[in-house]
Amino acid sequence: MQFKDQVDFIRQHMKRNKLRVTTTILAAMMGCAFLIVLASVGFGLHKTITDDVLDNRKVTEIEVPSKVESEEKITPAEVQTMRNIPHVEAVVERSGVAAEAMAKIGARSGYVNPILSDLKEEQKAGLALSEGAMPKKAEEVVVGYHFAKALLTDEEREASEEQQSENGFAGSLIGQTFELELTPYEGEAEPASWSFTVAGVLEEPAKDWMSDGSVYLDDSWAAAFNEKLGTGEESKSISVYADGLPSVGAISEALKDDGYYVYSVTEELGSMNMFFTALKAGLIFVGTIAVLIASIGIFNTMTMAVTERTREIGVMKAIGAQPKLVQKLFLMESAAIGIIGTGIAVVLSYAISMLANWLVPIIIKSSLGEQDSEGFDMVISLIPWQLVVIASIISIGVAMVSGWRPARKATQIDVIQALRQEL
Amino acid sequence: MINIKNLEHTFAIGKKGEERRIPVLKGITLEVKQGEIVAILGKSGSGKSTLLNILAGFMAPESGSVKVNGQETSALTEADSAAFRLANFGFIFQNFQLMPGLTAFENVELPLKIKGLSSGERKVLVEEMMRKVGLTEVAEHYPSELSGGQQQRVSIARALVTNPPVLLADEPTGSLDSETEQEILQLIQALNSTLGLTFVIITHDEEVANVAHRQYRLHDGELMKGEKRHAV
Repeated sequence: MQFKDQVDFIRQHMKRNKLRVTTTILAAMMGCAFLIVLASVGFGLHKTITDDVLDNRKVTEIEVPSKVESEEKITPAEVQTMRNIPHVEAVVERSGVAAEAMAKIGARSGYVNPILSDLKEEQKAGLALSEGAMPKKAEEVVVGYHFAKALLTDEEREASEEQQSENGFAGSLIGQTFELELTPYEGEAEPASWSFTVAGVLEEPAKDWMSDGSVYLDDSWAAAFNEKLGTGEESKSISVYADGLPSVGAISEALKDDGYYVYSVTEELGSMNMFFTALKAGLIFVGTIAVLIASIGIFNTMTMAVTERTREIGVMKAIGAQPKLVQKLFLMESAAIGIIGTGIAVVLSYAISMLANWLVPIIIKSSLGEQDSEGFDMVISLIPWQLVVIASIISIGVAMVSGWRPARKATQIDVIQALRQEL
Repeated sequence: MINIKNLEHTFAIGKKGEERRIPVLKGITLEVKQGEIVAILGKSGSGKSTLLNILAGFMAPESGSVKVNGQETSALTEADSAAFRLANFGFIFQNFQLMPGLTAFENVELPLKIKGLSSGERKVLVEEMMRKVGLTEVAEHYPSELSGGQQQRVSIARALVTNPPVLLADEPTGSLDSETEQEILQLIQALNSTLGLTFVIITHDEEVANVAHRQYRLHDGELMKGEKRHAV
């Protein structure tokens, strides 16, 4: 029998038992949709957390807090060794200033966060600017995206305290000179001021709720600040930058082998991925139980179909149909139920997923209130194509397995007994 | 064409473990020549249906040999037996055995579909066969919309459409009134004389057996030669 005729044959039979076949397809569809939607929550949460990790930091950054076996500081020679590790783009040493820092332009002032760093290395590490250029002189600095907003007049500050709108510095900061007044946290040294010119402004942070009021100064200023304020030498944080995400793992391993503690996005994602893979596998397993329950319906439908069509099967065998053909026709019918059910389930799952991603954040935001939900950005459900493939294989596979026994039963029908059946 | 030699078969009756074997066919030997109509007459329980079932390959005999066109059929596998039936036999059943969900045309078309012919080839063959048995008018009717005689004509068309050398008929007029019975018997005779088809007819009805060239009577599992009605 040609394949087209086999399909026609099945279609005719399914048409004759429309109600029963439809309800079985519905059961298969519900099982598969449940599997997809359930697992999509795992995929959605994984994406949310991964995005959160990747958005908050540079993915190629490997933090090196200290050595594993000693409390000694990492020396410049060791930093240089790190620079020689293959695929390392830059190694940046950053330190803060143990003083309260206030920036002033005319009547405007605001607290800022000074960071001493090797700006050439920062440039190599990919410090991205929204405007201006990297400093060329020691008196030039790069400021954070929200630096201008932090500079308020006294009136604006009062308005800000009353939670009214705040304006900050308007216009371009490039070329603007400001006073940086440092008041040491400890000791009796008097506050001191230095003048700096803004050469560049950093890009806006990835998250809406993050505020960047930093000032990147050349690390040669550390000595001048220490001399005037007696703040002492601040501990440095060391960040190694890879030339791309694929190199992060290898560089992390090399640093670990050299005896450093490392913390990188791959470390964080590695343990997170393991957790979410287990979670997703668990959800798929639970979803598969629903598919298995649906398969009982398919088994019943196919068993009834075989029982009802015993005489027809007998006639077909009598006029020359091979047992294999009879088996194939029934297997194809159960597979068709699985395929149609899965097809509808995939469409339905995408619709449910879209609805959940639209509705659930609205509900959460309304229950959290305006303030708490600021920057709330969450994927509740995500259906990647891999999930569709896995769910389809499970659903169609289970449908075919549940049709296997009735199909075998059909091949074993005795022609003589079947032909004796009444119409 | 058909050579049956020393065919023996028994059936078990009684409770499991306490069965008794009842012989239904006792050393049957029969030869059917090409183009012959042979009738096997017998009462209910005489073993005639068992003989037809063994000849068709629906069941295997306990002993003896069945050869059709020189091919031993009694030991074929189920799959080989199905393939052999498709190529060599057409079946006419007492209660027609038509597919209720298929039209007359589709019922006749079914063996050709099983054979794997294309829809174009099938259309030509089915239309020709429907014309031969006088069913062109009712081709799109379902079995439930046809009279008993028309249903049996559909059944005959289905049996003939694959152009088999042998037609096995089990009580072909058993469900028909006498007028329709005559129509069907005339059709069988016409097909035999025009197409040279070989018929083996199993019946309890003397009138049906009268269309045969040769008659055999099956009594208590033993085949007895009846009168030779007329030459082939």
